[in-house]
Formats: sequence, C-alpha cells, structure tokens
Amino acid sequence: MILDIHAYIGKWPYWPVDASSPQEVVRVLDSAGIESAAICSTRSLFVSWMDGNEETLSAVERFPKELIGFACLGPLDLSHQRLRQDLDFERLRARGFLGFRLYPQHHSYHPLYERFIDRACEEAATRGQPILLPLRVMMNWGVPAMELGWMVALVERHPRTPWILAGLNYFHELKAGVSLLLRYPSVHLETSCIQGFHAIAKLVEECGSQQLLFGSGVPLQHAGAGVEKILNARIRDSDREQILYGNARRLLRLP
Amino acid sequence: MIVDAHVHIGKSARLQIDVGADFLVEAADRLGFDKICCTDLTALFYDMHEGNRLLYEEMRRFPDRILGYATLHSTRFGREALDEIDRCVHDYGMRGLKIYSTPEASIAEPAMIPILEKCAEYNIPILSHTTPDECEYLMAAVPEVKLMMAHAGGQPYAKGDWNRAIMTAGRHPNLYLETASSTIDAGFVEAAVGALGASKIIFGTDMPLLDPYVQRAKIVQTRLSPQERAQVMGGNILQLMGFQA
Repeated sequence: MILDIHAYIGKWPYWPVDASSPQEVVRVLDSAGIESAAICSTRSLFVSWMDGNEETLSAVERFPKELIGFACLGPLDLSHQRLRQDLDFERLRARGFLGFRLYPQHHSYHPLYERFIDRACEEAATRGQPILLPLRVMMNWGVPAMELGWMVALVERHPRTPWILAGLNYFHELKAGVSLLLRYPSVHLETSCIQGFHAIAKLVEECGSQQLLFGSGVPLQHAGAGVEKILNARIRDSDREQILYGNARRLLRLP
Repeated sequence: MIVDAHVHIGKSARLQIDVGADFLVEAADRLGFDKICCTDLTALFYDMHEGNRLLYEEMRRFPDRILGYATLHSTRFGREALDEIDRCVHDYGMRGLKIYSTPEASIAEPAMIPILEKCAEYNIPILSHTTPDECEYLMAAVPEVKLMMAHAGGQPYAKGDWNRAIMTAGRHPNLYLETASSTIDAGFVEAAVGALGASKIIFGTDMPLLDPYVQRAKIVQTRLSPQERAQVMGGNILQLMGFQA
C-alpha cells in the first residue's frame, strides 16, 4: 500500500508533461503502484489558488478513492483590491480538504510577513490538519524555490502546526529538515526531492521513520523512480511501511 | 551489459564523499551493473596527478569492473594537463576524460581547446559537467570531439534545463547527453530519445552522491525498446570508449 503525500493535477506551463487531467494522473499513480495521492491543482500556483481549489475538489469527487484534496492557500490581497472575505477553515474542512499547501515562491509573498499565514498555521494546529510547505514543487533547478531560511523560521514560529516539509534535496537543505524533525514532533518530511545516496536510510537512522512521508511529485516527476528509492532503501520493512503509508494515514486521520 | 558512465571515487570535502573501489563495486553488484566509469574526486577538485594515480591503483584492483576517466581540475595548466592526459591514456589505460565547469571558472574558454583537440586525437569521450551554452562553445571549437554533457542540463548551473540540453545536442552530431541528475522529471528520457535517438543518451548515476536506484529507474521504467535500453544503459558508452559492440 502506498499513499503519496505530494502530487498534483493540472497543467504545467514550463514544458509538456504527459499527464495533467485527474484521470491521467490517476493512471500514472496506478502504473507506479501508488494507490492514493494528496493533490492540489497547479492552477492554484499559476492562475488563482481559489480556482485551483475548485479544480482539486472536482477531481476528488471524481476519484474519491485515489485522490485526497489539499487546499492551496494564498494572499487575500489582489493588486487592485483587498478582498473582504477571510479564509473560512470550517468550510474548507467541510468541503473535504484534509490539509493545506503554501506556495510563497509562486504567490509573491514572504511567509513571515503575510497576514493570512499566522492564522492559517494556528488553525491548522488547532484542527490537526497538516500544512505542506514545499521548498520547491519538484527537484528541477530551474523551478522557483523558496528560501530555506523562510521555511525554518516559519516552522520555528509555529511549532505546533502539523508541517509537511516538501521539496528538500540534500546537504544543508536536508540537514535543516532533520534539525526541525528532531526538535518538533509535529514536523514531517516528504521524500519527492530527496535523491541522495542512502539518504532515506540515513534519515531513518537519524530521525526514525515516524515523521517521514512518501511523496512523488507526480505527474511532474518520474513516479517509479520515487517509489524505487523507498523500496530499495536499506531500512526495516516496518519502517518502509510507515513511510509509504502508515504515517500519512495517521497524519490525515484516515481509516 | 550495464555500464554506469558517471561514478565518483575518492574524497571530496564539498560533496561530503569518501569512498573506495570496494564500496562502489559492492554497490554495482547489488544494482546489477557490470562496469562503472569512475573519476577521482581529488583529481577533479584538487590535484590531477595525485587523483588520477589513485584511480589507477583502484582500476588495477578491479580491472574488469572499473573504467577510468582521466580527470582534470582546471583548463589552466597548459602543457602539464596535456601531459597528464597522455599519461592517463598510455600508462593508466583510461578511456575518457572528466572535467568540471562552474560559472566562476567555466571551461568554455580558449584554454580548453587544446584539451578538446587532445581528446579528439585519442578519440576518447569527455564527460563534462557543463551547461548547454558551454557545450555550444566547446562543440563549435572542436566539432569532432565526443562530448557527453553530464546531467543533461539537470544541474544547478544549467538551471535544470534539459529541454535546452536536448535542443543543443540536436545541433551537434558528437554531443551526447548523460542522464544522472537530482532531477527526475517525468518524460525527460522519452523526450531525449525521441528527439536525438537512443544512440546519443548515456546512462549514469553520479553515485555515491545520488541514489543509483532512482537513476536506474529513470531509464528502466520508461517507454524504450529493449534495443534502445541496451544502448542507453551501456552500449553507447562502451562504443564511445572504443570497445567492440
């Protein structure tokens, strides 16, 4: 059983990608043996986070077993007006979103100085809903990346929030993630951009497996390659099961 | 036969690596790799003479498993670098050249041209950690040299731009793309083979920096024919290094 905590639906504007519709993404996931995946729409990153959330919900309604909706949250200010509405976390939950995602690098804000962020983090902590915070959407050096220091500072400001740190690669990025994992039990790390030699085994040795979550970056990244690094990691099978499924199930409170 | 065209051996403070041949051959055994093409990290980043000699000693311990790249840490050593290539080819039996490039010390400069010419003279391939734009310069300078663009654009200095790498390789008959990278973008291998043909794509893992299982899956789990896969996974690099197919 594999549950992927970091996947997408939607178009990719930088180069052609084979899968973008929910149906195509589900097919890619299935081909790699991934039974279900937490998604948001890339429309949320590039067009409107609110429109993207509608697309995400629509996909989840169509594929309720395979897809899990995460709501993308973004600034309430537009260039020409300040929206009067506030984020309605009760409604987001009622509509079926099991977690949230933040993309400061795509939404042109600083997460330490954006007005909705602190409230979103506190709401997520109170409700026990995770926030996925990607350093980058995928491990491609040309894709916009967030400052590592912003991620660290945000987690340290909100240590009760159930964080899923995503998109970390290696060296100092991974060390920062490990440091946060060891200090805060509410912090989790997903695997989509971790490509180092024996990296998963070293993470388990240093932090245990309880805070590690499998992520693929599908459909932007190669689904099978992401799975292979967990399947071939030199760890106990019980740790492997936790990473591939158990930890995410517990975090998302799935049956 | 499976051949990994991009492997590092030795020590690097920056890359946090310290491995010998035993470790790498054991890893290759687990992965089912028949041969690994190695470059010594001391030669790549510090002292070419010392590093290439260390690699030669490891090659002698595993003559059937390790193929060696002569390695230079700079283009700026003139005759000394050319003599080192001579030594590596004649005395050490190395079959290719490895060289690194950074924005601060790009190898796309006139000092690289005699090195390119030397490799063309020996008909040995160069695995160069270069951007597509740097490869444009190098191929324009010496079109007959066989150049493998390490990481196929999937490295920081090239901004991960494998699309540009494919376009560049399409312009130069002797420019090849090597696949090792932190980047595991869906569709890269299919796009590269579709645009260039399987004969221009070279499989590498960059171990022990990167996870070789991920790099292998990038090739194995793609829509390639068995013949194309055999070319990419070993046939091409062996041919470039002068072995009989």
